[in-house]
Amino acid sequence: MSEPLLKVDDLRVEFDTRHGRVTALDGVSFDLMPAETLGIVGESGCGKSITALSLMGLIPSPPGHVTGGRIEFEGNDIAAMTKRRQRQMRGHDIAMIFQEPMTSLNPVFTIGDQIAEAILLHQDVSRGEARNRSIELLKTVGMPEAERRARAFPHELSGGMRQRVMIAMAISCRPRILIADEPTTALDVTVQAQIFELMRGIQEEFGVAIMLITHDMGAIAEMADRVAVMYAGRIIEEGDADEILDNPLHPYTRGLIGCIPLLGKEARDDGRPPKLAEIPGVVPPLHLLGQGCSFADRCPLVHDRCHREKPLLTGSTHCVACHATQMEAA
Amino acid sequence: MSASTKPLLEVRDLAVRFELPKAGLFAPKRHFHAVRGVSFAVPQGRTLGIVGESGSGKTTTAMAAIRLRPADGGQVLLDGRDILKLTQDELRRARRDFQIVFQDPYSSLNPRERVGSIVREPLDLMKVGEPGEERNERVRELFSLVGLRDDQIALFPHQFSGGQRQRVSIARALATNPRLVVCDEPVSALDVAIQAQILNLLRRLQDELGLSYLFISHDLGVVQFICDEIAVMYLGRIVEYAPRADLFRTPRHPYTASLLAAAPSLSRRKSAGYRRVSAVRGDPPSPFNIPPGCAFASRCPNAQTRCREEEPVLRQFGEGRVACHFPLD
Repeated sequence: MSEPLLKVDDLRVEFDTRHGRVTALDGVSFDLMPAETLGIVGESGCGKSITALSLMGLIPSPPGHVTGGRIEFEGNDIAAMTKRRQRQMRGHDIAMIFQEPMTSLNPVFTIGDQIAEAILLHQDVSRGEARNRSIELLKTVGMPEAERRARAFPHELSGGMRQRVMIAMAISCRPRILIADEPTTALDVTVQAQIFELMRGIQEEFGVAIMLITHDMGAIAEMADRVAVMYAGRIIEEGDADEILDNPLHPYTRGLIGCIPLLGKEARDDGRPPKLAEIPGVVPPLHLLGQGCSFADRCPLVHDRCHREKPLLTGSTHCVACHATQMEAA
Repeated sequence: MSASTKPLLEVRDLAVRFELPKAGLFAPKRHFHAVRGVSFAVPQGRTLGIVGESGSGKTTTAMAAIRLRPADGGQVLLDGRDILKLTQDELRRARRDFQIVFQDPYSSLNPRERVGSIVREPLDLMKVGEPGEERNERVRELFSLVGLRDDQIALFPHQFSGGQRQRVSIARALATNPRLVVCDEPVSALDVAIQAQILNLLRRLQDELGLSYLFISHDLGVVQFICDEIAVMYLGRIVEYAPRADLFRTPRHPYTASLLAAAPSLSRRKSAGYRRVSAVRGDPPSPFNIPPGCAFASRCPNAQTRCREEEPVLRQFGEGRVACHFPLD
C-alpha cells in the first residue's frame, strides 16, 4: 500500500464561546491516499467543515484554537514548516472549494482576473501567460465561450457556472488534494450532477485526491471510495464506502441512512413508501457534551457504560466507535 | 385525475407576471411571465406535489393560488368558490381553510413573540373560539399534536432548534383547522435526520386530520415520500403531471427523466463504476428571454426542429399528462 498523501492525527480544535471553551474537534484522525475520494459525512455542527478549515489553516483565531494533533503532508509535519512554505502548500498543493460560490468570489473583479490572481500567486509566470491559462482552465471546467466569459463578473454567471469558476481556480496550480466543502448544496439537482461529473473527470485526469464534505449519502455513494462519519466533533465510523452504506455498524450511521427519503424505496400495500426511520432528538450543543458517548441520548442501543465512557474508534478496515457494536463483535 | 374524489382545490389557467424595469422613460412596459397557463387540482385528503428547480415558478404558483401574491389571470376554486374574486373581508374569513408552512423556520417566526402566542395569533385574527381559556386550550392541543411539550409554550423561537421551529410553524398553520395546507419546501432547510421527523409528522397529521397538502419541493425523494400526484414545472409551465407511481416508474418528459437521473440514490455506486450520463447540459435559459418553441429544447437530448418552433401543450399520455412533442415510452 502506498504512503498516505495526508495524515491527520488526533486533531483537536477548541472554540471560546459564551458558554466557555468548547471542543469542536475531539481527536480526529484519518489518512487521505493519493487519487482517492474520502467522503466526510454528518449533520450540521458535527465538525466536518471545521476539519477542512483546520487543514487549510483557516480556523479563525480568536475564537478558535488548534490545541493538539498533527497534520502531515507527504510525510512532513505541517506545523514544523516555515510560514512561507505553509502558505505555499495551502492553495498550491491543497486547494479548497466552498459551498456558496457567490460569496467566495470577489464581486468587483472579472472571473478571468480572479483565476489569474491565483496563478500569479503560486507560479512564476507573466500576466499574459496567467490570463491565457485562466481561459484554458475555464475550458477545462466546461465553461461555454470561455474567452468571453473570462471577462464576466461573478453576478453575470449562474450558480453552477460560478462553482465551475471556483473549481477552475482550485485546480489552477495542479493541487494534490482538493477539499470540497458541500460543493453542490446550493445548486439545482441537474447542475449538481454536472459538477460531480466534472470533479470525477478532474480526478481521473490529474490524479488529485478529493476530500468531499457533505451531508448527502447519495453524493457519498456516487463519489466516495472511503467514508468517515462524524458526530459531535469525532469520527464515529470509518471504512470503504460500500461497507458503510451496505453494512453500517454505528447506530447513528444506520439512522442517517434509514432516514433519507431516497428514490426507489419499496412501496407498501397502500402504494405509499414506508414511514422514514427517525433519529429522535437533536445533536447536543457542544457545551453540553458530557464524558460519555455524545450519541448516547439519542441511541436505541444505549446502556450504562455509554454514559460513563467515550467509545474509541477501533477496527482495522471498517472502524466504529460504539460500545454496543464493539461488545457484539468481541 | 382520479374522478372518484372531488378536488378540494382546483386551479385553472393561472398566470402570474412581474413588471420589469422600463428600458427608457417612454419605453413600453415589459413583463416577465413567471407562471403561464398552470392548471392543477388537489383532491380532498391527498397531496399534490409541485417540483422544479429554482426559477421554475413553483413557489410563485403556490403563493398566487392562496392569494399571498396577486395573480394576473385564471381561477382558483376552493370548494367551487373562486378565491381570486373574494373581497378582503371574505378572503380573511376564507383563510381559515387554507394555511401555509414556509421554508425557513428561522425567518418565518417573529423572534420577539413567544411561540404560544405565535400559534394563537391566527385564532385571534380569525376569531376562532372564545378568547381566553378556549383558545389557550386549543394552543395546548396543537402543541401536543405536533410533538411539542406544554412547558415550551412560553419560550421564544430562538430557544428552539430548526426542526422544533418547523413544528411551531406547522402548529400555527393548523390552528384554524384548515382543509388545505400549502407546504413551501418545509424540510429543505433542515438536516436529514430532522427532515425525516417532520416528513413523518406531516404524513401522520394528514392521516389523522384528513388534510390536503399542496407540497412544493425540489427534492424528488421527499416528493415521492409524501405526494400522491406530482406536477413538474419548468420555466413557469407544467411539463408533466402524473400520479406518483407512474411518474417515478415511467417519466414521460425528458426533463422529468433527467431530474430523476440526478436525484440522490444509494444504488449509484462509484465502486460499481457508476458514471452519470448527464444528458442535460447547461443551465435553463434565462426566464426573461424564453426561446420560441419548447422551453426545454436547448437542453433536451431528443430535441428536433419542431421543438424549437412550436410550443408543446399539456396533453393526456399514458396515466398522466405531458407537454412534449416526443414523450418517452
